[in-house]
Amino acid sequence: MLLEVFLVLGTLLLYFLFSKKKEETLPFKDGWWGRGQKPVTKEDSSIRPFKVETTEEELSDLFRRLDQARFTEPLENSCFHYGMNSVHLRKVVSYWKNQFNWKKQVEVLNKYPQFKTKIQGIDIHFVHVKPPRLPEGRAAKPLLMVHGWPGSFYEFYKIIPLLTDPASHGLGDEHIFEVICPSIPGYGFSEAPHKKDFNSVSAASVLYELMLRLGFNEFYTQGGDWGWLICTNLAQIAPNHVKGLHLNMVSVSKLGLPQLLSVLLGRYFPGLFGFQGEDVRRMFPFLKKGLYRILSESGYAHIQATKPDTVGCGLNDSPVGLAAYILEKFSSWTDMEFHNLEDGGLERKFSLDDLLTNIMIYWVSGCIVSSMRFYKENLQKGIGTQKHEKLTVQVPTGIASFPNEILHIPQAWAKKKYTNIVSFHFMPRGGHFAAFEEPELLAKDILQFVDKVEKEQLWKKKGE
Amino acid sequence: MWREILPNAWENILSQIRSFEYSQKNAVLVPAAALGVGGMLVYWLRSGRRMETIDMGDGWWGSGERYFKGKEDASIRPFKIETSDKEIEDLHRRLDQFRFTPHVEGAAFQYGFNSSYLRKVVDYWRNQFDWHKQVEVLNKYPHFHTTIEGIDIHFIHVKPSYVPHGRAVRPLLLVHGWPGSFYEFYKIIPLLTEPAKHGLNEGDVVFEVICPSIPGYGFSEAPHQKEFDSIATARIFHKLMNRLGFKEYYIQGGDWGSRITTNMAQMLPQSVKGLHLNLVFIGRQSLRRLICIMLGAYVPWLVGFTREDARRFYPFMQKNIYDVLQESGYLHIQATKPDTAGCGLNDSPVGLAAYILEKFSTWTDKSFRHRDDGGLESKYSLDELLTNVMIYWVTSSIVSSMRYYKENFSKDPDLTAHDRVGVHVPTGIAAFPQEIVHVPRVWAKDVYKNIISYTYMPRGGHFAAFEEPKLLAQDIMQFVQKVEQL
Repeated sequence: MLLEVFLVLGTLLLYFLFSKKKEETLPFKDGWWGRGQKPVTKEDSSIRPFKVETTEEELSDLFRRLDQARFTEPLENSCFHYGMNSVHLRKVVSYWKNQFNWKKQVEVLNKYPQFKTKIQGIDIHFVHVKPPRLPEGRAAKPLLMVHGWPGSFYEFYKIIPLLTDPASHGLGDEHIFEVICPSIPGYGFSEAPHKKDFNSVSAASVLYELMLRLGFNEFYTQGGDWGWLICTNLAQIAPNHVKGLHLNMVSVSKLGLPQLLSVLLGRYFPGLFGFQGEDVRRMFPFLKKGLYRILSESGYAHIQATKPDTVGCGLNDSPVGLAAYILEKFSSWTDMEFHNLEDGGLERKFSLDDLLTNIMIYWVSGCIVSSMRFYKENLQKGIGTQKHEKLTVQVPTGIASFPNEILHIPQAWAKKKYTNIVSFHFMPRGGHFAAFEEPELLAKDILQFVDKVEKEQLWKKKGE
Repeated sequence: MWREILPNAWENILSQIRSFEYSQKNAVLVPAAALGVGGMLVYWLRSGRRMETIDMGDGWWGSGERYFKGKEDASIRPFKIETSDKEIEDLHRRLDQFRFTPHVEGAAFQYGFNSSYLRKVVDYWRNQFDWHKQVEVLNKYPHFHTTIEGIDIHFIHVKPSYVPHGRAVRPLLLVHGWPGSFYEFYKIIPLLTEPAKHGLNEGDVVFEVICPSIPGYGFSEAPHQKEFDSIATARIFHKLMNRLGFKEYYIQGGDWGSRITTNMAQMLPQSVKGLHLNLVFIGRQSLRRLICIMLGAYVPWLVGFTREDARRFYPFMQKNIYDVLQESGYLHIQATKPDTAGCGLNDSPVGLAAYILEKFSTWTDKSFRHRDDGGLESKYSLDELLTNVMIYWVTSSIVSSMRYYKENFSKDPDLTAHDRVGVHVPTGIAAFPQEIVHVPRVWAKDVYKNIISYTYMPRGGHFAAFEEPKLLAQDIMQFVQKVEQL
């Protein structure tokens, strides 16, 4: 009798030890997002070079609107507590009209090669930068970097050289990348979907097709804001193609009893919940840094997730309104304390030229409404209800946790979803727009992450 | 040690009492009882007379420091709305240069205001809407301005042109909300000042109607200082009525008007003969209930629901909560970042129209979300809708109107009358079927302690006075009749 029991137990043990865990993947989401019916003929899959252009007419139209802007005086002593302060906004508009040189900025945008290609019925815009020099016998590692809202591919312009040519910037040259920065469909120069339901999984599927079309079988992905979610979905759709996933923002939607308890007691028993000292410093007092912050900063997400066509309407007609709406985020999401400054601290971390170039991308492409629809397509059924939110990520993951990110998610929570966290670092400074604000810090973290993944993979290959 | 002494002590006292002879017992018990009853009587008498009210306080909303010397200019100055060719040309230019974004296929009004229908509205606005004519319509009632607490308060004051023999004229203050204006009352005013002429014959009362613009809305100056909330508004409106010579008056409101008039009733109940509402804000109790309902979906045992309760409640309640979340995005952003949200709308009249008219669609009938034209013209004319939008446009008041959300929510997220302070004045509630959230009488009673009439209206939504003026007028009149007979 005992022999049978041992045999059974032994078999079970062997089974568990040797069977590969069945990794659940997210299915690839095919779709057709063009106008009308999908044509019978095969889609044109050519990759066409693209250059940003502007015209005199476009500029004079912009200036006319800036001239006729109607401002509302702020309340006395309100700084940025009521949103964008219109006294400061006037200064920004004056700079925009008189000193900002859009033609020059267009040349800046065009310094990296850009392309367009049709995928699933819509034109996808992307920047593709290859390393300027590659040592003998070395290959560049493809890296897909995905932006968010209210950002754009332009956010990566300062970090791209650090990744394609690290040696020239004082970073080791063990890993050299060729960088692909697409515009999410509905953002910037990518065509907006004409059909409903284009969510993060759709975007991930489109970008996956893009990488395959460019001939990449294995690549790294990096993202924050929506880029975080799209890259995560991509890692869930095609784990065998994504060598590594690097994120500068993480969010979790499955907040159950353990998380609730850790919020209530984590301050007093951090070790019990896997919190590190820095986690406690960033998360507590929870009401102020968690709940209150979410409530006071998420109005835009709430209205964009429910009525994007309404809220975007005026912003596509008033460049000043658009600037106010977008700049407010570059203020509070860079440092929450900037609320208390009359100028919102905008120029402490960014130049007006950079900020306005990002805004101009939304303006000249007329994409603000479609950019907002992405919120509805992703959030309308509620948070935590979609299939991909329930699946985990097995791909090697690196997380750069910036101190001024809107919400801090500790590693203890992140690893419930990201089961293979290879690196998790508390960054010394920086906020939500990491690539834009602290390109060097982010580049270093990406490099050390890729280094770990490469060594680990090499190690794995040796072991087999 | 204590555990042993206490029961013993108690036993001792009891046995001592039991050991008293009757007369001694009485000697102790009777005075004790007398004191007790007397005390309770005194307390009850005093509490009945001590009516809870909100402290009136005071305020200053003008720019800079308040002048301390001299009294404020209390004159009431007649006012006429004016427009100019320049203003209209500027508007037309902006309408012409509007940049449309095509909507996704099959969107109707589910993503917000449908841009195809918006094109039609803009076309009408540009080519057929006659602002000069509408200004004359607005000026048909007498307008005034008066300075209170440092800012100019705009109001219209309509007296009955003819008072039939034996009828009393009662003052009635009507307060609008967001995104409405004093103009919402233009159809109901004649029904209240001259009911007989319009086929209404509700008893002995006709009204003289006062419709102010909330400071920061329309032609009332916007406060320059922070923290201008509904209590400040209530106080200013009391001062206004006082300045007009009224000691006792009726008040009516929906949307913000409901909260302001409620605060007015709590502040000076002796001046408010009756309070009529077409919207009741969910009371704090009900908020608790709502939270219980929400939590109950995940942890029913925690809020005292049985499994069966949970099973029965949930699809229905979740739908309600989903609906509220669907419609409250504007409230969330206005309560946190009003200056940002309103900026573009003060610069793009089409953006302003889309933002405002979306509410006139969904808050009139929830099913309008599924219509390509939002059902707007099934209940209102484009002239009326655009006139209301123009009031926000020509006065540049959209940002200050939005700030009101922040000022009120920051203080009291529940938006109730102070719970400690109920509302004791006679109250009438007209519950319209398409109102955003339905508040049953049993929940309203938590705050409104003296509900004289609660009517389930047969049709109509949030903008009751604008959409169903006759129904609302009838309900106001039957309510006032009841109050007059008290």
